[in-house]
Amino acid sequence: MSCAQAAVRDPAADSALTLRARPRRVALVGNANVGKSVLFGRLTGQYAVVSNYPGTTVAVTTGRVVLGGEVCELIDTPGVAALDGALTEDELVARRILGEGEADLVIQVADARNLRRGLMLTSQLSAIGRSMVLVLNMIDEARVHGIAIDAAGLSARLGIPVIETVATEGRGIAELRGALGRAAVPVFEASHRGDHARLAHDLAVQYRRYRRRSAARVQERLGRLVREPVTGVPILALVLYGMYLAVGVFGAQTLVELIEGGLFERVINPAAAALVNRVLPWAVARDFLVGEYGLITMGMTYAIAIVLPVVATFFFVFGFLEDSGYIPRLAIFSDRIFRSMGLNGKAVLPMVLGLGCDTMATMTTRILGTPKERLIAVLLLALGVPCSAQLATILGILGGVSFSALVTLFAVVLMQMFLVGFLAARALPGERSEFIMELPPLRLPQLRNIVRKTLLRVRWYLGEAVPLFLIGTGLLFALSRLGALTKLTAATEPVVVSLLGLPRDASAVFIMGFLRRDYGAAGLFQMSKAGELDGVQAVVALTVMTLFVPCVANFLMMVKEQGLKAALGILGAVTVIALGTGAVLNVVLRGLDVAF
Amino acid sequence: MSPSEKTRRLSSMAPGESGKVVRVSRENPDRADKLMALGVTPGAPVTVLQRFPGVVFLCDHTELAVEPAVARAIVVEIE
Repeated sequence: MSCAQAAVRDPAADSALTLRARPRRVALVGNANVGKSVLFGRLTGQYAVVSNYPGTTVAVTTGRVVLGGEVCELIDTPGVAALDGALTEDELVARRILGEGEADLVIQVADARNLRRGLMLTSQLSAIGRSMVLVLNMIDEARVHGIAIDAAGLSARLGIPVIETVATEGRGIAELRGALGRAAVPVFEASHRGDHARLAHDLAVQYRRYRRRSAARVQERLGRLVREPVTGVPILALVLYGMYLAVGVFGAQTLVELIEGGLFERVINPAAAALVNRVLPWAVARDFLVGEYGLITMGMTYAIAIVLPVVATFFFVFGFLEDSGYIPRLAIFSDRIFRSMGLNGKAVLPMVLGLGCDTMATMTTRILGTPKERLIAVLLLALGVPCSAQLATILGILGGVSFSALVTLFAVVLMQMFLVGFLAARALPGERSEFIMELPPLRLPQLRNIVRKTLLRVRWYLGEAVPLFLIGTGLLFALSRLGALTKLTAATEPVVVSLLGLPRDASAVFIMGFLRRDYGAAGLFQMSKAGELDGVQAVVALTVMTLFVPCVANFLMMVKEQGLKAALGILGAVTVIALGTGAVLNVVLRGLDVAF
Repeated sequence: MSPSEKTRRLSSMAPGESGKVVRVSRENPDRADKLMALGVTPGAPVTVLQRFPGVVFLCDHTELAVEPAVARAIVVEIE
């Protein structure tokens, strides 16, 4: 039933134009990584983040769309493997939409290459009894693999429209819109009731044809190269080195030099200072904008000149990796390590996503199988995974010190993550789930999608992080004006100076680090540039900062996902571990007389 | 050769070997449900691609990575 026809049949309505209490709801449902979000974008004209791995969408996105002459609400749901049995948190999100009568109409999206799995879900959907349309997406890739599907035959057999699409290119979208009016509850014979797998298998055998052997040879060969340890490990090293060149050298050095050294120090800050000095007669106001802790000279300089260039380059490179299908393959290598930390290989996804943003990654822990796994993953993200903004400042500072300084920092952080994970796996109650993971196909990413994703994420960074940078700067300014900064500095001196061996001024930086650790690190960047930190101090300070809880937003997300008690526990544990590690590292490095 | 000699556990298959799934052990029901949802059901064609560091196999057109314990639960009739 299309929205318009549905309106006619609705007892409360006598025409398609009647106002209703709520718009008709149409849900996009399907297995993971079949292209629901692409289709969502095609139908609504609204961009939902699209990547090539299962678990990109872990919450519901809604958008307005005109279907059959009526404004409907289109709901993009997280991918599901099944609708009954043991479900993960993100699958439950999708299940709820179907269960509680939230959706009036279902568009099931299936990967044309995996007809059996798609039909198994169709069979489960028919048991729920919603009117639906079946979309066979990625029909182009199926053809490359030599698969042909008799869509008309399948449609006649099930009694629902079956539409073939290539959502990324917009092919089949018009047909899909037209077919919604014919949506119906699929018909299955009574003999098959309940045995979804058997039914799906029989139908797939009947309506799917294999033609000559597939032309997807290159894809298969590449798949083997990244998967097998002999070639896969060198490839991983190359990928990491490539990222270092793009983000650490080009982003953190070339671009930052250009924007911070060139634009801000030479043009913007002097111009702002000159203007403010001429316009504002009050010294306090002048200081507030362009002083030592000025909104422009400190807040904007940190946010725009030091962090933004690296965040933007990182998101671009990361978007490429996401869309290539490479990241989930790292799960094969890391499964054993993660298992000793109470997780399984699947945890590589939230961990790597954390390099983009720990807050988002904390939400992605929903794809993990058990509450224990989710808790450990959230803890490790908060403890050790530096987000792109944090990476920015790490690379900016240690890039200028030495490569061995960089290696020391990452080695210490990884070791701590492993140790904490290992202990948490034994101390916390509960089980880990088994490692069973679907690997998405390797693909050549589309530049358009990468650019869109990068812009979306940069805009998000500007909206999320910049205000906090400014608030933090304002706070520092107020503290310094009221003389409280000196007192705070004195109070934290035992920790900062005696325990960590850092200069007194580092206290202010650590206070900022509690708001956002990249902001604290940006402060370290300034100190190191001014020659106030030696190599050991830079490594110790950055290690402590990296081990801190990422930012206020991340903390709030922890509360949302794990509850206040767990979040406070993590905050406390992480802070103690961070300071303890810094203290030990300081003693060891000084004891060994390391100079970097 | 009797049919029983032709069935093996997926964990014991060498890379490149293929066959059809006969059954999935239900001794761990969650695992069996999860595998079924991913298409590992009786009759499904499977090909082992790799055994180390984890088992990777192709089931229909889905590439799946699993730990050894999971691979042991899948019984395959070799072709």
